[in-house]
Amino acid sequence: MIIAEQKPLDEILEMISGVERLLVLGCRGCVAVCSAGGDKEVGALASALRLGRKKAGKPIEIDEETYVRQCDPEYLEPLEEDGKRYDAVLSMACGVGVNFIADRCPGINVLPALNTTFYGANLSSGEWAEMCAGCGACVLHLTGGLCPVARCAKSLSNGPCGGSVGGRCEINKDVPCIWHQICEKLTSRKQHQLLREIVPIRDWRPSGHGGPRRRIREDLLP
Amino acid sequence: MISGSNLEQVLISGEFAVTGELGPPQNGNFDVVRDKARILRGHVDAVNITDCQTAIVRMSSLAAGLIVLAEGVEPVMQMTCRDRNRIGIQSDILGASALGIKNLLCLTGDHQKFGNHPQAKGVFDMDSIQLLDMVKAMRDDKKFQCGDEIKSHEPRFFLGAAANPFADPFKYRPIRVAKKVKAGASFIQTQIIYNVEKFARFMEIVRDLGLNEKVYILAGVTPPKSVGMARYMKKFVPGLDVTDEVIERLKGAKDPKEEGISICVDIIKQVREIPGVAGVHIMAIEWEQAVPEIVSLAGLSPRPMPKTFEPRLRSSEAIDLIVSKAMKDAKAEAEKALEQAKAEAQASRDLVLKEKGKISSEVSNLKRRVEEAKAIAVRKESEIGRLTRELAKNRAGQGHVRTVRRSASGDAGKTLSSHDSSALISLRSGLEALRKGLGINEDQLEALKRLFEAESLLSSGADERVTAPFDRSPAPGERLEKPEAESRHREVVSLAAKGNVLLHKNDAAGAIDAFERALAIEPEDKKAREGLKKAKEAFEIAEPSEEAAGPVVPEGIPPCPEGLSPEDWQRKWVIRLVATGNVHLHKGEVDKALNAFKLALELQPDDKRAKTGLLKADSGEAAPVPAPAEPEVPERAEVPSAPGPEIAKVPEGVKTEAKKGPPVTVAPTVTEGISVPELPKETRTLFERADSIQENLFTESCTGAIREVCLGEGEKAVTLGGASTLPFHIFEGDMPRAPQVAFGILDSEPEDWPDVLSRYYSDVFSDPVAWARKCIDHYGAKAICLSLVSTDPNGMNRPSSEAAGKARSVIEGIDVPLILWGCGNAEKDTETLREVTGLVGNRKVCMGPLSDANYRSLGATAMAFHLPVVASSPIDVNLAKQLNILLENLGLSLDQILMDPSIGAIGYGIEYSYSVMERIRLAALTQQDEKLQVPFICNLGREVWKTKECRLPSDAHMGDQERRGVLMEAITASTLLLAGGELMVMTHPKAIALTEALIKGMV
Repeated sequence: MIIAEQKPLDEILEMISGVERLLVLGCRGCVAVCSAGGDKEVGALASALRLGRKKAGKPIEIDEETYVRQCDPEYLEPLEEDGKRYDAVLSMACGVGVNFIADRCPGINVLPALNTTFYGANLSSGEWAEMCAGCGACVLHLTGGLCPVARCAKSLSNGPCGGSVGGRCEINKDVPCIWHQICEKLTSRKQHQLLREIVPIRDWRPSGHGGPRRRIREDLLP
Repeated sequence: MISGSNLEQVLISGEFAVTGELGPPQNGNFDVVRDKARILRGHVDAVNITDCQTAIVRMSSLAAGLIVLAEGVEPVMQMTCRDRNRIGIQSDILGASALGIKNLLCLTGDHQKFGNHPQAKGVFDMDSIQLLDMVKAMRDDKKFQCGDEIKSHEPRFFLGAAANPFADPFKYRPIRVAKKVKAGASFIQTQIIYNVEKFARFMEIVRDLGLNEKVYILAGVTPPKSVGMARYMKKFVPGLDVTDEVIERLKGAKDPKEEGISICVDIIKQVREIPGVAGVHIMAIEWEQAVPEIVSLAGLSPRPMPKTFEPRLRSSEAIDLIVSKAMKDAKAEAEKALEQAKAEAQASRDLVLKEKGKISSEVSNLKRRVEEAKAIAVRKESEIGRLTRELAKNRAGQGHVRTVRRSASGDAGKTLSSHDSSALISLRSGLEALRKGLGINEDQLEALKRLFEAESLLSSGADERVTAPFDRSPAPGERLEKPEAESRHREVVSLAAKGNVLLHKNDAAGAIDAFERALAIEPEDKKAREGLKKAKEAFEIAEPSEEAAGPVVPEGIPPCPEGLSPEDWQRKWVIRLVATGNVHLHKGEVDKALNAFKLALELQPDDKRAKTGLLKADSGEAAPVPAPAEPEVPERAEVPSAPGPEIAKVPEGVKTEAKKGPPVTVAPTVTEGISVPELPKETRTLFERADSIQENLFTESCTGAIREVCLGEGEKAVTLGGASTLPFHIFEGDMPRAPQVAFGILDSEPEDWPDVLSRYYSDVFSDPVAWARKCIDHYGAKAICLSLVSTDPNGMNRPSSEAAGKARSVIEGIDVPLILWGCGNAEKDTETLREVTGLVGNRKVCMGPLSDANYRSLGATAMAFHLPVVASSPIDVNLAKQLNILLENLGLSLDQILMDPSIGAIGYGIEYSYSVMERIRLAALTQQDEKLQVPFICNLGREVWKTKECRLPSDAHMGDQERRGVLMEAITASTLLLAGGELMVMTHPKAIALTEALIKGMV
């Protein structure tokens, strides 16, 4: 899932400084699951913004709305007209939603309320961690299902660097050394041969360094 | 032979190789690199040039490598994957090859997080193994990474890689070496080795894999410069295993540097014995000077001479040679030119001398003329005097005194000007010529003139006439009318001249005096007036503060300062007089107060405040009159004369009086950058403020009193308690002793203190005595509380004897009272504290905490040595009382007991603590519950600094972390003070300063 977190309130207030009528628009997709932009968060943010503006002596009119998804055209349809009643639409979706609104609804001033951070999993209530980098060239079959591209600070391909101590990464004791885990896993699975082989230098094109990515499935095209 | 580098040749020859390391500077200084290279030259076979090590921006390894090469030292260029992608790396490799670099060490690179640009985007297009693979393919397959052919001049490098035998997983490390060898590494340099035993095990696996046959392994070593450096490496460098033995050796050493070198040599000797080790890599970080000594002591010198060595770029010495030849030529030419110039200069010098002689004779000529002119002027003046006197005499009888005088003066003036103008002109022109001749400027001329005047006046009274007629306008006839006027005038002129001389000598005060004396005799004397003005200006410039600091004279009204209307000034002045009066009244100086109030009333007969003050002063009542705030009128230059500073001089000594005193604003308490402004004291007592309310409606007197407990001994002893009223209720009872703050310190380095707290003590963490001393000497601690946290069986579990030893050295190292606070484990505390008393039984340290579990054993000890103790009970009135009773039954006096009611930080149950303390205090004071009449001790610092709020970093919503923590601690303390706490144990110096300021402002 895409993980996001709300921008600092001051930054959002600054962003909407000239806005008189605002729509805070949530998304029931990933951001609702990671408690960043669902119905609940829309309500909380709208209240905070009203308070903030009232405190500054510039009250604001805010409507609240949450769509099923902001990354599918059919859900965005109502916004094309409804959105015109507002000076701005503050999207609480991930960056995809904000971009998609900007693409589909040209008359609308769309603003981001979140920082989209990574693809991750929910470790426990209130804690998420990055698990995938969307690099476009998966090697998980070679690494015991643990991703060195996303989870190693240096995205190493050939084993742990010299800073791995006690299973912890050198950059921070709270970060596990993923290569340490890969070594243990492959060893326990008697796959240590994988550790001896040199993984060749990567082609970074699929990860976005070859330009914006697009996927087409001919059979599904209209 | 791969690249034919010197390092390769040494290794192939089987000689034990030595490589060094050189960190390029964080600037563009060529000389730094060259000088370091010169130190290493001849002592190592090659030198690693680091590539922005620890991700700090430095001169590039390629550029620095070339400087080193030009000095005749072979570089091993390091190349990391952090800062360049495959395009940049291959490009640099081609460049390095073209310029004659032959060794390349391929590394992944330290993460940018460690460096000075943690915001940078790390590239990591590849890792070190892929880098080796790529450079090897460039060399052996003549192919770029993309597969394109390198048509000629492929880069040929002797390739190396790093290995860390101390990183985890240990068993994987040799496998990784194998991978590097497979990818192209011909030599390996290891991480710094201190743990030789572990390295030997690593080498065993390396040999088992047969790698020692395929790759040259150079063992990494570093001479530790100090214990601090060794400790730092152990703690903060990931993957570096510094053994305790190394630290102990350095600790015990007389000269740690020498010991560091010896440690390094020992390690070299040991690793040399391990099969498969082909050399050593000496990393003397910023200590290149040590390398020659290490190499020689390790028996590795001399190094084999490089056989083939051909820097592509010329060495700086070769360049020096060319330059020096060119310089020699240029010098010869320059010398020739110089000779010529010298001859010319000599000729012109002669000419100048000749001219000089001429000029000086002219000058003396001029001087003579001046003297002559002066003589003429004197003669003429006396003649004029005589003539005018005669004239006056002739006309005296005619009764036209006034006319006569006027005409006489007119005549005299005329005569004077006609007679004297020639003298004057000749004098002036003489001086002018002198000025030109001597090259002096107008100012100097003016000075000279004054000097002439002054000298002549001072030396002989008669001479004054030379100048007097020009300087002074009053009619000369006056002198005829009143003979004494003559001498008076002479005195004036002489005084004025004296003033001028003094003014020139920068004695402005003296000058003012002289001019004023002159004016006293002759108030209209222009010269003296002018002089006085100048002198005053000079005086103000010289001592602007002196006048400003002058005290206010409460007699009459001083001149109105600029920018104020006279009415405003008078109003202000009256207010000040009233304030001054009040101050005197408070000090009990009734006469002075009366005087001030009277003066105020003279100026403003209906001023109410002054009247009230006068009445009170008359009746001898030393009660204050509300000091009104001065109206805000912009004032200049008279701020310092405002009553503020005057009152501020109220000495601290009169503390008892200050209690009822005026609004005191004493200079802020300053303790090494931690300053807290003094609280402004409430000016009026509660009785005055509650003017219209009957006293018995708001006062409630207590029947009990808190016992006094004395901590420490001698001059620095601190006594607590004694209050016969609720905390700070000084309007209804006595609180003879202000609550105190003790600095809380630990017997070991705190593990969980946030940086905003530990930064104040981190330099003394390792030494509790130094820590205590710092608290006393730097922060003005009046008491110390040493927590023996290291003894905690659930923590470090250090032996009691060790902690007792530390406690003893603290006891002996300080003179302020000490509280020893155990770890909270009843059994261990008994052991530790008994041991301490055994060591220093006669010193009056306070021991704690005594709980129901160990009060017997510790209570007995305290009784034996008559030591004060801290009775610690769970947060409950009855439990606190019970423990006191138990202690008393044991034989302890209540005068020895401080109560620790168990407290929490603000936000962490402080309301409960407050309530329990308040109830204890009420029971003690109003219900005469004797067993509870003992002072409280609140060990709050440790509670506050473990809260979440003190640990969260600074951010926009929570604000600055330090400020937050300091306020948490100070507010917790103030709450506990209000609940009745007598002794606060706190940690942050700023919080303590705040709390002490609060206490000072309240009692």
